[in-house]
Amino acid sequence: MNRTADQPEPNPLREGLAARPVPQPCNIVIFGATGDLTHRKLVPALYNLAADGELPPDVVIVGFARRDKSDDQFRSDLEESTRQFSRQPVRDEMWNTFAQSIFYHRSEFGDEGGYKRLAKRLDEIDKTHGTRGNRLFYLAAGPDQFEPILKNLKAAGLNQTCKGSWARVIIEKPFGTDLASARDLNRVVRNSFTEEQTFRIDHFLGKETAQNILVLRFANAIFSPLWNRHYIDQVQITAAETLGVGTRAGYYESAGALRDMVQNHLIQLLCLVAMEPPTDLSADSIRNEKVKVVRSLRRWSRSEIAANVVRAQYTKGAIHGEPVTGYREEQNVNPESQTETFVALRLFIDNWRWADVPVYMRVGKRLPKSATEISVHFKKAPPVLFNKDLRDLNVLVIRIQPDEGISLRIHAKVPGTSFRIEPVKMDFHYGTSFGKPSPEAYERLLLDAMGGDATLFARSDEVEQAWAFIDPIEEAWHGKKDAPELYFYPAGSWGPEAADDLLARDGRAWRRL
Amino acid sequence: MICSPGTGVPGDDYRPGMPAAVETYSLGAPVPLGEIEQELKKLWHDGKGAMTRASLMNLAVYSEQPGSLQRNTRLMAQITENHACRALVIEADCNANEDHVSAWISAHCHVSSVGSKQVCSEQISFLLKGRCTTQLPNIVLSNLDSDLPLYLWWQEDFRESIDSQLWTWVDRVIYDSHGWRDFRSQMRLLELMRQEANCRIVLCDLNWTRLDNLRFALAQFFDHPASHHRLSKINRLRIDFAPGFRSTAILFVGWLAAQLKWQVNEVKSAHELRFIGASERHIDVELRERNGQPVHEIVLTSGDVEFRVTYAHCGDLLEVSRTQREIRHPQLMPAGNNDPVGLISEELIRGGPHHIYLNALNCIRDLL
Ligand SMILES: NC(=O)c1ccc[n+]([C@@H]2O[C@H](COP(=O)([O-])OP(=O)(O)OC[C@H]3O[C@@H](n4cnc5c(N)ncnc54)[C@H](OP(=O)(O)O)[C@@H]3O)[C@@H](O)[C@H]2O)c1
Repeated sequence: MNRTADQPEPNPLREGLAARPVPQPCNIVIFGATGDLTHRKLVPALYNLAADGELPPDVVIVGFARRDKSDDQFRSDLEESTRQFSRQPVRDEMWNTFAQSIFYHRSEFGDEGGYKRLAKRLDEIDKTHGTRGNRLFYLAAGPDQFEPILKNLKAAGLNQTCKGSWARVIIEKPFGTDLASARDLNRVVRNSFTEEQTFRIDHFLGKETAQNILVLRFANAIFSPLWNRHYIDQVQITAAETLGVGTRAGYYESAGALRDMVQNHLIQLLCLVAMEPPTDLSADSIRNEKVKVVRSLRRWSRSEIAANVVRAQYTKGAIHGEPVTGYREEQNVNPESQTETFVALRLFIDNWRWADVPVYMRVGKRLPKSATEISVHFKKAPPVLFNKDLRDLNVLVIRIQPDEGISLRIHAKVPGTSFRIEPVKMDFHYGTSFGKPSPEAYERLLLDAMGGDATLFARSDEVEQAWAFIDPIEEAWHGKKDAPELYFYPAGSWGPEAADDLLARDGRAWRRL
Repeated sequence: MICSPGTGVPGDDYRPGMPAAVETYSLGAPVPLGEIEQELKKLWHDGKGAMTRASLMNLAVYSEQPGSLQRNTRLMAQITENHACRALVIEADCNANEDHVSAWISAHCHVSSVGSKQVCSEQISFLLKGRCTTQLPNIVLSNLDSDLPLYLWWQEDFRESIDSQLWTWVDRVIYDSHGWRDFRSQMRLLELMRQEANCRIVLCDLNWTRLDNLRFALAQFFDHPASHHRLSKINRLRIDFAPGFRSTAILFVGWLAAQLKWQVNEVKSAHELRFIGASERHIDVELRERNGQPVHEIVLTSGDVEFRVTYAHCGDLLEVSRTQREIRHPQLMPAGNNDPVGLISEELIRGGPHHIYLNALNCIRDLL
């Protein structure tokens, strides 16, 4: 959000026109350019940026993959998918100029020679297209391919640039599968790129409402005095989806909900809700505060894990009235799979602000609704006057997706002669108040990486600390002895009863979504 | 170049611009002045289906043109598609013999980008007759949606007789200096009003907004630090503008002059100027009048490099190119929309204080 130390002097003509680091001309090299992510997300995002005038004209996209393809074939494949997935309709003339800057580079990730040829090609593009020696490498490939790609980039000297230029690398999730592999991967990355050059993507952070959490907390004086253990009773974070595992079974079978969603997205959201105010809006100030939250997460012993974490898997049921199969019957899933498709956690942040305030998190597939929301439940008013019989708390809800917005539940008197009090909701919808649709998360994140702003990207210590928290849970689940139970829930329900018990024990219940 | 509307099957996440759903462009129901709030309540109460009333600001528009109520109602119907507000549309007939105010209420509803809910903005329309300048402040102040900022879109020339209390309430005053016959006196009046409001009012000149995308397109050439040195070597500037838009072109020159610290050195004619930059370097400015967009083309020369921003044939796209030793890389960027709805929307999206505008003005006020 702020200019980093290595940012150059600002362009005087930009004053008043751009409130964030300006994206620089560059070559964006996408490793895995014939894959799903490139076609569904990355190139549509880049096209939308170009169509909105946000992309500098001197940006070139070079796709790197092993299939044989000409530049023209690659462009026409991308055109087809962009027409399908773009946020805004594709205009021929805009696509045609945009596509002129797209090239295809055929090579194996493991072939060193391919990178040397790439380096030569990028140098030529610098001369012909004004990309000024800046390189943004996007690893849109499977995690097993990160190491050969990073090593070969270094071997070809592509991790280094001349003075005044930069090389950066964007790494897709999953960033490791546990602490050891994340450390290994960080080591591999560090061998080729410094931390300042590394951008670990978490697309949840690119969402408008996730960014708005900091604004809500630190631009509104009314919340800050209340944002602590004295006034907050509990926090709940839910990421629910109606979808099943779909075509991702191969990956999901080895990951599960905890690794796929909690280690990254949900912990990142929790950090935004729980962090202390940063000293400024620079990437590192914000990330310094975020990592403190992860560090303060209470670690459990093996026996405590069963009491605080519930894992479950969906069985057959119905979604939107349609029957759906159970997880174990899905394609490419082991019929005896132990992979969790649902997890609920009862967490504590052991620091001055949050001591003893439980954070309940749940994430699951094949739940009745698709919604990602954070709710902050405030403590009850003293049990006198109107409050003797009141059961509902004041709740502030931050809706991340869909229907992005914020609502606040307060109590009001029902009109009439009696003193009946009922909860009412004050509701703010982004879509209602701001007609303009929000940009896709990838648009924002790509722009930030081009501008050198790492605020919305995870730092190595954040990732490692999150794994350090997750690992003992995974170990307990996969241990030979006394592994906590894997529960089952019918597709279309809100998870197993055990997840409700997690809160019921504390005299609380999940928020009704 | 062939211009096309967007085609292709939009993706899952594609959300179309909100189509006007229940839009009649009518002024709505006449209401007695003292009962506007009650009638508005009834309007919402009687509304059919899932309607959400939304408002981010009070947007008042004032005109003395006969028929402006209908024209501005149509504009408001479009503006509220993206900017939920309470609209106060005012037409004044200041020459009428007797004082009279008529009022109407209506709603502009659009299908929300989320779900099928209708998002509605309310409009209160007024026809003022007689002593309009005395009536105006009270009409505006008594019909504001509380706690929301007041944006006043003034479609007339400014006059000294307007009650100063009104200005202390205005957060942003929107006007179009392109239509001013006497730029200096209008600006003087505006600055006076701004002072009366303790400089709190943001001056939003749509003539300046017209330049937003052009400024953006030119600025991006110099984003890379290696191109910064080109700024100090600029020696020529040519701007092509449409008849009647000299002031728009001059504002553009003012922007460059303020940001790059140029000073007027010589006014050779209305269309030929010379500025002096750092280290006594001359910058020759040529302003060419020709049919086309308000500011149709900008060509900036810095040594052997030419930076060009020009309207593509489509009209809503800009072609930007940098030419050096015959090598040229044209790219397209959005040009924005020069109609009143496009300009107002751009202005409302951008927000913020306009000190860059004030700096630009200061550099060229004697040229207007
Ligand atoms: N898809 C998504 O929505 C999504 C969302 C979040 C994160 N991610 C992450 O993004 C990464 C990519 O996902 P994806 O779904 O796009 O994968 P994908 O569809 O399987 O694509 C893999 C790409 O890698 C290329 N590739 C694989 N091995 C190669 C080799 N040895 N040499 C050269 N190219 C090779 C493939 O090229 P060929 O076609 O030539 O074989 C293809 O372009 C993964 O880490 C995934 O976890 C994806």
